[in-house]
Amino acid sequence: MTSKKKSVGVVPMGDVPEITLQVIADRITGCFKLPTQILPPLEKPEYAIDERRLQYNAGIIIEAMESMQFGNHDKVIGVLNKDLFIPIFTHVFGEARQGGQCGLVSLFRLEKNPDGSTPPESIIHERAAKVALHELGHLLDLLHCEHKKCLMHFSGGIDEVDDMSLDLCEYCSIYLRDKLR
Amino acid sequence: MDRKMSVMIVDDEAIVRESLFHWFKKYGHVVETASSGFEALEKLETYPFQLLFVDIKMPGMDGIELLEKVKTQYPDTLVIIITAYGSIESAVKAMRIGATDYLLKPFKPDQLSLVMERIFVQKRLVTQYNYLKGHLEKITRFDNIIGQAPEMEKVFSLIPEVAQSDASILLMGETGTGKELVAKAIHAESRRSHLPFIAINCGAMPESLLESELFGHQKGVFTGATRARKGFLEVVSGGTLFLDEIGEITPKMQINLLRVLEEKKITSIGSREPVDVDFRLISATRRNLKKEVAEGSFREDFFYRINVIMIEIPPLRKRKEDIPLLVEHFLKKYCQETTKYVDHVTRDAMELLRRYDWPGNVRELENAIERAVVLSKSRTLRVEDLSFIRSPELQFSQILSLREMEKAYIQQILEENNWNVTQSAKILEINRVTLHKMIKRYRLERPEG
Repeated sequence: MTSKKKSVGVVPMGDVPEITLQVIADRITGCFKLPTQILPPLEKPEYAIDERRLQYNAGIIIEAMESMQFGNHDKVIGVLNKDLFIPIFTHVFGEARQGGQCGLVSLFRLEKNPDGSTPPESIIHERAAKVALHELGHLLDLLHCEHKKCLMHFSGGIDEVDDMSLDLCEYCSIYLRDKLR
Repeated sequence: MDRKMSVMIVDDEAIVRESLFHWFKKYGHVVETASSGFEALEKLETYPFQLLFVDIKMPGMDGIELLEKVKTQYPDTLVIIITAYGSIESAVKAMRIGATDYLLKPFKPDQLSLVMERIFVQKRLVTQYNYLKGHLEKITRFDNIIGQAPEMEKVFSLIPEVAQSDASILLMGETGTGKELVAKAIHAESRRSHLPFIAINCGAMPESLLESELFGHQKGVFTGATRARKGFLEVVSGGTLFLDEIGEITPKMQINLLRVLEEKKITSIGSREPVDVDFRLISATRRNLKKEVAEGSFREDFFYRINVIMIEIPPLRKRKEDIPLLVEHFLKKYCQETTKYVDHVTRDAMELLRRYDWPGNVRELENAIERAVVLSKSRTLRVEDLSFIRSPELQFSQILSLREMEKAYIQQILEENNWNVTQSAKILEINRVTLHKMIKRYRLERPEG
């Protein structure tokens, strides 16, 4: 008996380069072997802005997304170029709840190197894809991994995102395979 | 190393609790939240959280007060303080009280990772320390024999000494004192340790069965002997044979065993061919065999054969200072077995355990702790959880006058405390001078020896 394969939607929120969305969708299909589709754009989530911090509250956006319909997609990754935060942290590159339906990727801090310089576009796309896959991993119930090169390793800074590979370690791969069975 | 921890987030702001909850969930930690210090203490009563994230500013009980209570009641629990920039002084105070670290919110995601990394290093060191401590304790305490009382120290020092020889050993002690554990420890320390250790309770079986168990039998010698069977005296081959309740065996069996000990040969039931046997005998009894020898009810020659070395294992009432240690040991054991978390005993409950006479000795104490762990509804054993233990005050079987009762009770407390007047006065809640006067008035005397 074969179970229906999970499908993933990638949804831009406000202005997001088409090429970035395409790279994210391709990487999800390539790495997780899941059918992925770029969805029509949503409005910039102005409802989630925190006036004091001038950042967007990731929790509020995810809650709003979870009340929306995204066709037959089991998991949805929202992509925006605004600075995201969750209340205890100064910022986050992305956010997803363990086993949830929707996750987020912010391009805002991925577009600069730790020294303030601007990296080539290909690097920005690679970073965005890594964060998207990492958050999708959480949606598929994968936990943070101790293995430094694993896609599910927690990255606190840009250099750690760069160090991380696009692949899962052996253990996380097995875990994902079980989850997708 | 297991990097999963049990974490509780204590903050009155739901949004902070939720954020941290989801963050820790992503690491597979067991996560719980509490919206106040009171709720946190309630939850700690039922589950041993290893790590608490506590906000300093909370209505009712603030983070500092909670930290103080946690460090007093559960000193092993680690506490990380979360604070805003305005309350940095409180964070310093928290560190002085015993907080492991503090975080100024909002913090960078990698700051929390670093704090957790430091916690893991600390946890690893504590685990290593406990492992090594446990290892050393095992070496000095011979596995499960627990005790620091001088009487037990004497037993501990004898075990490695007697283990080196092949002389027969007689262990004397009341039921439940741990005679079999001592026998196993001697075996484990001996050159026979890689060979079998066989324990037989002589009091539990009739003579014919015991004979068949020890000596074996040939096929068809009695009803049910459908095939030949080797006896334990042969099976033990080179190891240690532990005969518990040796005082219960019949005179005929005493003669049979005496012959085996002298000739090192056995003949199984129904056979004529003697077989060479080699074993070290350790016997145990709760009876006064010397007295029985004098009365003629136990063979003298057999008694001297099995009693080349005699080790007396003291009853628990004679080593009450070991009770807290034993309680701690059994709590750990039954928490592991029952998956319930009970790791504290109130002062009153410990006092009750110390004052009870434990006629069933360590075994009775172990059963009591097992039962209390099962019945307990919190992490702390209270007097109510031990209600099945009869209070020593109720043990007077005959009708006594108030004066006689007072005398008997003072005598009991003095004996329980090795006639330490200061300690006894403290328990009786009178001063030392009054106790001295009462000892004189009732003409109480310290037993000799």
